Amino acid sequence: MESGIVDPRRAALKKYLARPEFSVLIILIAMLAMSAALQNNFFQPKSIVRNINAFAPLILLAMGQAIIIISGGLDLSTGAALSLYTCVLTSVMKRGDPVTGVYALLLAFVVAIATGVVNGAGIGYLRIPPVIVTFATSFIWLGAALFLRPTPGGESVQWFKSFYDVSALSQAPAAAKWLGSILPPAFWLIVIGVLFWGFLSRTRTGRYFYAVGSNNESAFENGINTARVQMYAAIANSVYIFLAALFFVGQNQSGDARMGDPLTLKAIAAVVVGGIALSGGRGSVYFAIAGALIMSLVNKIIFFANIPYAYQTLVGGAIVIFAIASSQAYTLYNRRSTSRLKGG
Amino acid sequence: MGNSSISAQAASTSGMSVQTLYRKHKAIIVALLLILFLFGLGGVTVSNFLSFPQVLLTIKLASFIALFGLCQMVVIAAGGDGLDLSVGYAATLTAVLTTYAMNGKNEKIMLAIGIAIALGVIIGLLNGLFTAYVKLPPLVVTLAMANILQGAINVYTAGNNITGRPSPILRVIAAQSTGIFPNILFLLVVVAILVMIVLYKTKWGLMLFGTGANERTAYLSGARVKRVRCMSFVVSGVLASLIGLLLVGNMGMAFKDMGSNYVMPSIAAAVVGGVSLSGGNGNYVGVILGAIFLQTLTNLLVALGWGDAGKWAGFGIVLFILLIVYVSNRRKR
Repeated sequence: MESGIVDPRRAALKKYLARPEFSVLIILIAMLAMSAALQNNFFQPKSIVRNINAFAPLILLAMGQAIIIISGGLDLSTGAALSLYTCVLTSVMKRGDPVTGVYALLLAFVVAIATGVVNGAGIGYLRIPPVIVTFATSFIWLGAALFLRPTPGGESVQWFKSFYDVSALSQAPAAAKWLGSILPPAFWLIVIGVLFWGFLSRTRTGRYFYAVGSNNESAFENGINTARVQMYAAIANSVYIFLAALFFVGQNQSGDARMGDPLTLKAIAAVVVGGIALSGGRGSVYFAIAGALIMSLVNKIIFFANIPYAYQTLVGGAIVIFAIASSQAYTLYNRRSTSRLKGG
Repeated sequence: MGNSSISAQAASTSGMSVQTLYRKHKAIIVALLLILFLFGLGGVTVSNFLSFPQVLLTIKLASFIALFGLCQMVVIAAGGDGLDLSVGYAATLTAVLTTYAMNGKNEKIMLAIGIAIALGVIIGLLNGLFTAYVKLPPLVVTLAMANILQGAINVYTAGNNITGRPSPILRVIAAQSTGIFPNILFLLVVVAILVMIVLYKTKWGLMLFGTGANERTAYLSGARVKRVRCMSFVVSGVLASLIGLLLVGNMGMAFKDMGSNYVMPSIAAAVVGGVSLSGGNGNYVGVILGAIFLQTLTNLLVALGWGDAGKWAGFGIVLFILLIVYVSNRRKR
């Protein structure tokens, strides 16, 4: 509440501080410091590898979710789709036959694209509210996954382990093993995800995600095929879920129709914590990574607080809603104060 | 084929007004036709599907879905993309806590109802505050609430065994029958009549539908939009908790995930019943028919050996198709 003349430099600084990204970085640094203080060997290579493995799935899912949220959608079927892909992968693969792994990859990728197309058609072309249409499809994916795998299990080829741990693979070259011991496959999956968005954001479609998400009507009136743009966003989301599925099958060597359920909400929370507006059109996909890191580190800190296992769902759920609510409140507050600075 | 003959029959009986009648009660007519279609299909493919006791059992099981559907209808009607994913979990938590409190005694029923209402108010108020005042999407908030409630249930069951039994009076209401008619049907009829009176004949109902139909008009006419939306979640929470008591009465005991499987069907029932997801309207008779349709679908899929996978995929596909029919808002070029 300044009165009189406002120093333009101070105003600019204040505007910068009011950006959600700034607070995200501050929180992330604080979280890292706290985790490092709690865990003595936080920065040792082994523990870094372990942390990357623990955080990677949520990072991938959050990036996908961020894209679909920025384009004006929301995906409640993330977890169910992830489960479905793992079930498809482990149903096609036969343990002793390495070539089945290739078939599984191809088929699961086709399924991933198909789920994205269905979600995208519902959101973009049919213009059903995204939350409810993906709620409906999540049960279709669940049913399909249960059909393939009524109980957790399934088979996986040996080389699929390379998506989790290269050194578990005896015929892998020594250089790859050495690299995998420093930067695990999960890290490279994230790199693929980052490069994919790096490419996508430089295309026209990538910029249209923001246009459609911030104002569907005016984007449409400006000649953008909004339905197709939202379809592409949903498909991109599916690609990220597919990458996460590869990681999980590499890790567990099995599929489970219910394994993804808790991850849906965590991915949405990570996106919101990363400063991306749930209303769409605002935020950066890269900051979804920061959001996912924050959510994961919070879980880690809970773990160090020695909270009994039974309490973890309760505390986790409470933190999710607290995180979402405080980000939202912060954004609402800042939007008001920056508009005041602009004199609006 | 059956559809056209039935609508032709309807046309011959009610003459000219059939078109307006159809337009006004489109969803109910569609739901009825869907139910008849499933009964026909079941009668042909599954033996004993259409026997009277079997149909009554279907309707009895459907009444629980229909009661949860009431929670959804109230929240949806208030507008603001409302939906409540926490209903099943609220019911489970109430069930787990009250069986211990009741311990099979009739005199403890008031205590159980008190616990249920208190829990429902707390859950509903939290849902309402986060959605109406913090402006978060209801599905995200109530999904998080569902997680929290499941966490609370896990905490309770990790420390204690789920002990105790429901009061005998709850058994009478929820599980037993008068003659061949399950008692819960009478309860459902009473609830339906009460709902109709409250929603269509009182100012609360008008305020609820008005807020859902047009937020701005309602606000300018003096309705407190945020408070109405918040209260709709409180009503949903309290109803869900009370339904938890009925679930215990029906089962004779409480268990960890007794309510969670009702969440999806309750929403699907509301959509099948023609409750507009953008808010502002809703006919409870439609929701009840929607619930019967979904339960019949479940029975049919289970009888055909499709089990859980078929049930969830079936619900998902039905909901998806109905969303296309009722909610889709395609652009015309």
